[in-house]
Amino acid sequence: MSIAVELPALGESVLEGTVARWLVKEGDRVELDQPIVEVTTDKVDAEIPAPAAGVIEAIVAAEGDVVPVGGLLARIAEGASATAAAPKPATAPAAKPAAAEAPKPSAAPKPAPAAAAPAPRATPVAKKAAAEGGVDLRAVEGTGVGGRVTRADVERGGRAAPATAPAAAAAPAPAPREAAPKRAAAASAPAPERPAFRADFGHYAIQEGDKVVPMSPLRKLVAEHMVYSKLTSPHVGTVAEIDLGGVSRLRSAHKDRFAETQGVPLTFLPFVVHATVRALREHPALNASVVGDAIVEKKDVHIGIAVDTEKGLVVPVVRHADRLSLAGLAAAIEDLSARARTKRLSADELKGGTFTVTNPGRQGNLYGFAIINQPQVGILRMGEIVKRPVVRTVDGNDAIVIRPMMYLALSYDHRAVDGAPANGFLHRVRELLEEADFDL
Amino acid sequence: MAQGIQIDWLGRVPYGDGLELQREAVAARRAGGCGDRLLLLEHPPVVTLGRSTRPENLRTPRAELLARGVEVHEVARGGDVTYHGPGQLVGYAIVDLAARGLADVHAFLRALEAALGEAAGELGVAAGTLPGMTGVFVAGSAPPRKLASIGLGLRGWVTFHGFALNATLDPGDFGDIVPCGLHGVEMTSLARELGEPGDARLFARTRDAVTRVFAERFA
Repeated sequence: MSIAVELPALGESVLEGTVARWLVKEGDRVELDQPIVEVTTDKVDAEIPAPAAGVIEAIVAAEGDVVPVGGLLARIAEGASATAAAPKPATAPAAKPAAAEAPKPSAAPKPAPAAAAPAPRATPVAKKAAAEGGVDLRAVEGTGVGGRVTRADVERGGRAAPATAPAAAAAPAPAPREAAPKRAAAASAPAPERPAFRADFGHYAIQEGDKVVPMSPLRKLVAEHMVYSKLTSPHVGTVAEIDLGGVSRLRSAHKDRFAETQGVPLTFLPFVVHATVRALREHPALNASVVGDAIVEKKDVHIGIAVDTEKGLVVPVVRHADRLSLAGLAAAIEDLSARARTKRLSADELKGGTFTVTNPGRQGNLYGFAIINQPQVGILRMGEIVKRPVVRTVDGNDAIVIRPMMYLALSYDHRAVDGAPANGFLHRVRELLEEADFDL
Repeated sequence: MAQGIQIDWLGRVPYGDGLELQREAVAARRAGGCGDRLLLLEHPPVVTLGRSTRPENLRTPRAELLARGVEVHEVARGGDVTYHGPGQLVGYAIVDLAARGLADVHAFLRALEAALGEAAGELGVAAGTLPGMTGVFVAGSAPPRKLASIGLGLRGWVTFHGFALNATLDPGDFGDIVPCGLHGVEMTSLARELGEPGDARLFARTRDAVTRVFAERFA
């Protein structure tokens, strides 16, 4: 019989793990409970023990693979334990708790003081069998390690005592996980957990009917970064109104030929990035980082481009953006965004940005202030490009004309940059875009 | 089921010996030969590099560190670079999470943070967690000032590694590394936050507070 080794649910917020190192290879004989693979998750490294004695039949997940909880790591061909003298285990090997028993958190047996009949510990397989067979786990005597209920126990118990059906339904984890009680359990101590800071602004108790969506690792990373950035940098926002008439004319005149010769569409974004890098060259204070007690103005200009993907926000970096022509920028941005969306970016392509441009681009986006991408000190956020009536001097007379206008919002780190230089930089970006002196 | 946690002070233990101690303690715990344990100790100066350590996070060349008597260890763990040294209270938590009905490593991380926060509070430093970050930070500090780092290993459901609480060590000792690869986080110590000399008395008080809080919370 072949036993699946799956990535156990290590915690409520652990959704996947990366296979770090195999400690065995295919064909190796393993003992029950022998660590066979190391998996790293956020902040925790776990060694997964063999759920059964036998021979490694197949290693399914290679080192470096990201495996979701419940995902298959390997298969073990169940066999006699290497210690031949040991009595053949009577219980199904899949019942071994350590690795296989990875109860979904809400199903995890919690010390339930005062509960008359706490749910006994049981393996997931046993729980499933109990649920399917309508067996009340509390009525089953566990013979597994540490008294855990195994599938064999359930099968025996199920025949002996066909328990009330609804009781069993409680065994497998129901979907919504309750955060608040879980936290209380986490402290595992009588003393109530203290709030992180002096004030506790409350928790939301999940109610029936609420949809609970666990954060993906990317979502958590984004969340962590945003909180960190806001705590680190005093953000100041400033907005410029930019007349994109010149750029718009240039773009209309060239976009078909550009798409043909360059193979990428000519959008407004490369124009904005091009103007930004030129302005950064003239205003290095914005192309900087705070390092300890120093402000470091960087010699290179690498521009992060925020890209919204199905999985969430990623910010690939156009390296040496100041060395690229407009066409080069357009091609680099197109390439990085396309690969961000198909998840084919390397880790290096997400690192090392010195300034960021974001273009949320949806309709109805007048302007808004982005959060600084640490450890940078500034980020530009493009608003929607809309035709607006504006006043221009035409032949010496004021006239109302219609222009494609955009609000461009700069968020900057007031630790490193004051208002005047920040506005000087933004104004320069505006000038460059309005002059529309781009080589095409 | 009698639980409790046995807390031992082991004194100054070289890093490599500490790994071996943990390996043995985990094996014993998994075999059911002992209950949960918290091993408290301090390490001689050592920089440890995790599997995902980026070279730029080690600021000082390895040869120079060795010349100064700082050991450098590569450890089969995730995470980035860390520093341990005298004046830092290290706690190896050998806890069977399944036996505690707490089969959730992140919940356990949070429990460690809460316990360390309480211990720091008793010593007079208001400390807590920061959303999205692991570790214990001085309450309301910006940029965040970190008092304790936490990192766990798991073999089956038994934990190892644990925490490193900066009691009296000079936060300047972290100068050779970018702790945990976190730029912008400052390392601090209880001594610095209290404005007290980082002497053996404060270290002993820290150890006592941690011992008491853990004994109570993991009773």
